[in-house]
Amino acid sequence: MTRPAHVPQDPASPEPADLDRSIARLLTVGTYASIALLVMGVALMLGTGIAPRSGGPRFDPQSLVSDLVALRPAGFLWLGLVAVVATPAARVVASLVGYSRRGERDMMLIAGLILVVIGLSVTLATVLEG
Amino acid sequence: MFDGLLLVVGGVVAGIFGSLLGLGGGTLIVPWLTLALGVPLIQAVGVSLVCVIVTSGAAAGVYLERHVANLRLGMTLELFTAIGALAGGLVAFLLPERFVQLMFGGLLIWVSISMARRREPARPAEPPTDASAVAPAVAEDAADSTATIPAPEIVRTDPSFIERLSGPGYHVHRLGFGVVGSLFAGVVSALLGIGGGTVKVPVMNVVMGVPLRVATATSNLMMGITASAGAIVYLVRGGIDPYIAGPTAIGVFLGASIGSRVAHRIHVSVLRGLFVAILLYTAWQMLQRALT
Repeated sequence: MTRPAHVPQDPASPEPADLDRSIARLLTVGTYASIALLVMGVALMLGTGIAPRSGGPRFDPQSLVSDLVALRPAGFLWLGLVAVVATPAARVVASLVGYSRRGERDMMLIAGLILVVIGLSVTLATVLEG
Repeated sequence: MFDGLLLVVGGVVAGIFGSLLGLGGGTLIVPWLTLALGVPLIQAVGVSLVCVIVTSGAAAGVYLERHVANLRLGMTLELFTAIGALAGGLVAFLLPERFVQLMFGGLLIWVSISMARRREPARPAEPPTDASAVAPAVAEDAADSTATIPAPEIVRTDPSFIERLSGPGYHVHRLGFGVVGSLFAGVVSALLGIGGGTVKVPVMNVVMGVPLRVATATSNLMMGITASAGAIVYLVRGGIDPYIAGPTAIGVFLGASIGSRVAHRIHVSVLRGLFVAILLYTAWQMLQRALT
């Protein structure tokens, strides 16, 4: 028998089904947006005659905007790839907000810890690379 | 132009097979990129992780919308897959390529044997269209899975928390085993560029008593974060080539979309046989390269 969970709830807090639906939409939009950016990048890459196995530039956040403005394929490809990698993290942020509105502290803690691990990934990789 | 096409086509094939057989595309993408196109293994793994996130994002959205994936359970376990993936991603840059090739060859053989022994059709868990239809099906699956599993509490956990991880018609057991399995799945995912579903689904289904279709959907949801934690390390450390990742990810996305649409028209047992043959051949090639 499943005992009903006793969690404090705001009357306006989203139901679990609503949270699932919101996160589903976020994932779908994030994935489609990422793919759209990658399609742009690949179209520009092929249009400018760049061979895929010629060795692409490394990720450089500082040149991202200038690459995008100059319509360079690397700009769109990197933005698309960053969007791909960031979409799951955005889903965790959305869950954190949803669970905090429902007052579910244990799930808030888990969501927060996942974000800490993702933050650690970025930090450790950057430190080791630098 | 031809190379670009090859990458897209390889991605499409991996995406179709992956969605029809319930596997991530990584088991095919990594060998395709390394053996057929000569991409360095570390780059192939990075590209594969990106593709895993893309397929997870597309599929998990549908599973959540239809209330098949268990968000609470998925988030609890993915905390540990993410920790494992972070560790795996950091270690991957230190390991010799031959060692990773050997591990990948072993993985391919294991997946081939598991697929060959699978009795029921390996269709992707096609979720029913509404939540009311999901509940009885899940309860039925749950009856199957819990019937064979006694439920001693090996790891003591706050009962109210573990109860809230359970879903309609099933109870989650042995969270401790799930945590250990998730850590291992995360390490393997980041080392080999796979989603880790080959580890997570059996752990959730057989050990934790989660119905198979919920385990598959939840594993799919978790793959995004697992692969993401590993992919970040690859991205920052130069392990992802955008010119290779872009076309391959588009191909995988197209392939997964095609696969989900044609799933009902294809005789999966024939496809599975073909897939097992391809995996065994690829494993042979991978092991040969590692050992010579």
